[in-house]
Order: sequence, then C-alpha cells, then structure tokens
Amino acid sequence: MSSSTIQVTDSSDLSGQSTSRLVLQMARRDISTLFRTPWIIISRSLAFIIQLFVFAYLISGLVVKFPGFFPYYAVGSVVSVVASISFIIGYDIFEEAEEGLLDYLLTLPIPRREFIIGRALGGAVRAMIYTIPMFAIVAVLENFSNSLSLMAAILDLFLLAFGVTGLSITVAVSVRSANRFDVVLALLELAVSRASTALYPLAFMPSYVAALAPFSPVTFAADSTRAALSGSSLDILGLAGLLAFVAIFLGLGATFYFRRLEGGVYA
Amino acid sequence: MIGFDKAGKRFGTLDAVKEFSMTIQDEEILGLLGPNGAGKTTLMLMMGTVYRPTSGKISVNGLDVVQHPNDVRKMIGIAFQDPRVDGILGAFDVLNWHLKMTTNLDKVEREDRVEKVLRAVDLWDARNKRTWLMSGGMRKKVEDCKVLAQRPKIAVFDEPTAFLDVPSRLLMWKMIRELRDEGSTVIVATNMMDEAERLSDRVAIVNLGKLVAIDAPEQLKGKTKGGEVLELTVGNGQEFPRECLTQFSEVQDVSQENNKVTVYLSGGRLLLPKIVETLTNRGVKIDSVHLKEVTLEDVFLNYTGHRLE
Repeated sequence: MSSSTIQVTDSSDLSGQSTSRLVLQMARRDISTLFRTPWIIISRSLAFIIQLFVFAYLISGLVVKFPGFFPYYAVGSVVSVVASISFIIGYDIFEEAEEGLLDYLLTLPIPRREFIIGRALGGAVRAMIYTIPMFAIVAVLENFSNSLSLMAAILDLFLLAFGVTGLSITVAVSVRSANRFDVVLALLELAVSRASTALYPLAFMPSYVAALAPFSPVTFAADSTRAALSGSSLDILGLAGLLAFVAIFLGLGATFYFRRLEGGVYA
Repeated sequence: MIGFDKAGKRFGTLDAVKEFSMTIQDEEILGLLGPNGAGKTTLMLMMGTVYRPTSGKISVNGLDVVQHPNDVRKMIGIAFQDPRVDGILGAFDVLNWHLKMTTNLDKVEREDRVEKVLRAVDLWDARNKRTWLMSGGMRKKVEDCKVLAQRPKIAVFDEPTAFLDVPSRLLMWKMIRELRDEGSTVIVATNMMDEAERLSDRVAIVNLGKLVAIDAPEQLKGKTKGGEVLELTVGNGQEFPRECLTQFSEVQDVSQENNKVTVYLSGGRLLLPKIVETLTNRGVKIDSVHLKEVTLEDVFLNYTGHRLE
C-alpha cells in the first residue's frame, strides 16, 4: 500500500454519518447472515409445508369439536415460527459475547441504544424474511380479503418478531451460564408459544394454561393476524398488547445490556 | 493526545489495571510491552470505550471516554489479539462492512480501499473464502486489515503479528509505520521484545496492571545500570555469593533467578576474567558465561524482576 493513495480518516468526516444509517447497517449485518445459508430457509419451508398439509390436514379431520381447525392452525403455526425464529438473535448475541465478537461491535461508532435497536430490528426482519414463504402459503389458504388486511397481518407478525427479539436479548444479557441460557430460552419459547392461542383455541385449553394464554404475546399476534386476514375489524387489543410487549422488552433489553456492558462482565 | 490519569479497572475483586497514568503523543507508535495478563488489553478496551474505567480518567484528544464515548469511538480503530471477524463472511465482506460502519466513504472508494489492503497482505485471491475456513495467520491478517483499511486517527493493534510468518510480520510492521507516517497515532500491545523494540517510538512497560517504565527503547536501555549485562549459568542453582561480585566498582547490580545470574556492569570485557576467577575460588560451578549489551529484555527484567516469557 502506498501512503500517497490513502488518507487517515478524519473523525469530523464521520459527523455526517447518520445514526439511522448505522442502525440499518447493524440490522443488515444480522439479515445478511440469513442469506449466507439459504438452504436453511428452503428446508424449513419444506418442513412447514409437510407439517401443514400432512399433520395439520389429518389432525383437522379428527377434530370434531372445532370446525375449521385447519385454517386456525395454519395461521397459528406461522405465528409460532415467527416467534421461534426471533428468539435466535439471543443465541447470536450470547455466542458473540462468548467468542469476543461483541467487544469488536462495541468499538464501532454507534451509540449503545441504537446498537440494540439495530440488533433487534435485524433479528425481527430476519425472522420476517424467513417466514415470508410460509406466510404467503397461509395467506392464500385463508383467502385474505384485500391488500390492507395482508399489510395488517404482516404488521402483527413484525411487532411480535420485534418484541421477541427484545425478550431474547434481555435473556441473553441476563443469564451468564451457557447451559442455563439454553434452558431458560427454550422454556420461554415453549411458554410463549404453547401457552397461547396459536395452535388451539382458549376454550379447549386446560384451566392452568388458559389462565396464562391471554397474556402471551403470541396470543395477541395470532388472534390479531387471524382477524386481519379474515378482513374483520382491526384487533385493537391485540395490536396494543403487541406494542406494549415491544416497548417493555426492548426497554428491558437495552437496560440490561447497558448494565452488563458497563460492568465489564464480558471480560 | 491520549491521557490516562490514575485510570483503574476492577473486575470483581481483581484489579486488572490500577492507578495507571500515561500520556501518548500524537503521531507516535507506542509499544505496550507486558506479559499476558498484564492489563494491556483492558487498557486498550477502556480507551476504546468498551469497558468503563472504575477509577481515574481517560481522555482521547481532549474528550473524556465516559462522557463522550461515541465521539471517541469515531476516532479509534482496534485490531484485536484474537481475530474478531464473522466466520460466515469472507475477508472482503468483513472489511467492507467495517468501513461502512467506521467511515463515510462511498461504495467505489470503500471497495477500492478494501482491494488495496487485501492485495497488500496477499489475501486478495482468498477474499471470498469464509474466515472460519482460514488459517490462524490469514484470520489475523484480516483482523489487522480492518484498522489498516479504516486509517483511523488512533489505531490500536493488539499483538498484530501473532500467528504471522516472518515476511508477513515485516510487512505488517511496514504498514503500521506507514499508518503513523500518514498521521495516525498507533498503539501496539505486544509481548514480543523485538516487535516492541523495532516498531515503537516509545515503549511502555506494563506489569500487574501498572505502568513500570516508559521511554524510547534506546533511552530505556541507556537508563539500565552499567550498559552491559553478564549472564551466568551456575551449577544446580546453588546459592550465589552476591557480595563477591558487588565488591567490584564496575558491577552495578546482581540478580538471580534459579540457576541464572544476571550481572549489570560496565567494562565487562576487562572484568570478566576477574569475575570468573573470583567465583571459581569461592567454589561456584559456572556452566556458561554470556556478555552482551543491554537489551529491552534486560530492561524488562530489571524493572519487573522477571523475564517476559
């Protein structure tokens, strides 16, 4: 390299670099990792199709108490997949901390709060991209009423993904042992997905699950998405619940993140 | 200018860095020399705003690292000891993304800079190979290239030539010097004596989280008593009669570590036969004798009491 061709970066040059651009770059980093392994998307989509058209189709024939179980299950299974994929960002962050990659990311000129928003956004968009082929199949099966209902359903799924990434980040920075982290995240994933109306209606749940299900973010998203796709009135309660979920867990994630980083726990 | 003013960092009950005060001048290469665990990386990560100091102050070009962390980050680029690169990405993508985050270069300029630096370190042909498939040396080059491509005002390299072969090591030193010549302030943490001596304008010796000495390598050597070092290996680490050597006015100091005895002295050539005769008469079995000029290793030994392994 010749010294005459490259100049030292003047830090004042970076003042024009908008924070939103850096947030998007941070998010793009998480999204781009998904496209490095397209076979995962393809294989999971195939697994979903088999699950839907073999398992769900057969089971729906056996469910006599609840006519129309197949479309109910179809929407719920997409919502469950969104939640499940959104949890992955927590594993990524935990792994980055263990491998030291997080130290590098923290040297980059992006404020901590925007850093976390970027990671959560990246995780959420990644989950959406991952789920889009499955969602498209379900939307067609449901005979979605119009493009507006489609957009509303996508918004529901995106809010769920955004909130779950916040929850996942909160757990990733709160639990220090790798084994404990795996167990906690698996239990949480099980709780928010299974104790919800994603795969079965509230009326048929055992009482101890029915008591919890109305508070699950997956319930908000599943009910709201079904309402949106069927073209019925907007599920305000579901949307409000999802927004609250996003606000709480992004806030908690950010707070825990700061506390842990500033304590130098990753050393 | 970078200033450490009684800076400290405590992890639980461990003081990784304690009451550390030092000033780094603009456009110099400062070598941070110390054994593993001396606190070099912690110092750099505090300066880079990854860790918050638990005591004291650190300022970078007049900005306090705690009060203005993001402005400080805009000036600094850090190449870590262990490569911190996304294993799933190739070298080109790693560097391109790093420049997207740290510079305002447009796409053409950015890619041009990445190409130049990858060609310079002979990684251009392997630019799309996922970094987790690369050898340790290649990954280390990618890590160093992040800072070499970024050209930050303050460039920090943590053991920049670990895992590199000799030609690559010499090339990396040349590129780091070029960075300094272009106006960067460069900090190089190392536990390799020759790297500290040949690359640095000044060397700071760090031990147990504290600054032990700081000066130009030649100055540090010049400050060492006598200017010459006589290394003796004595049989079976037998206790050494120190006073039989300190009786000579040319002998400044004597230290012993197991069976190795280090004598700091002047006029060693003339004194050597007398020393050997004196010790032999006192029944000391001498296995080997080595007279040399003071090296940075001797300086380190002199200041810390132990060798840098």
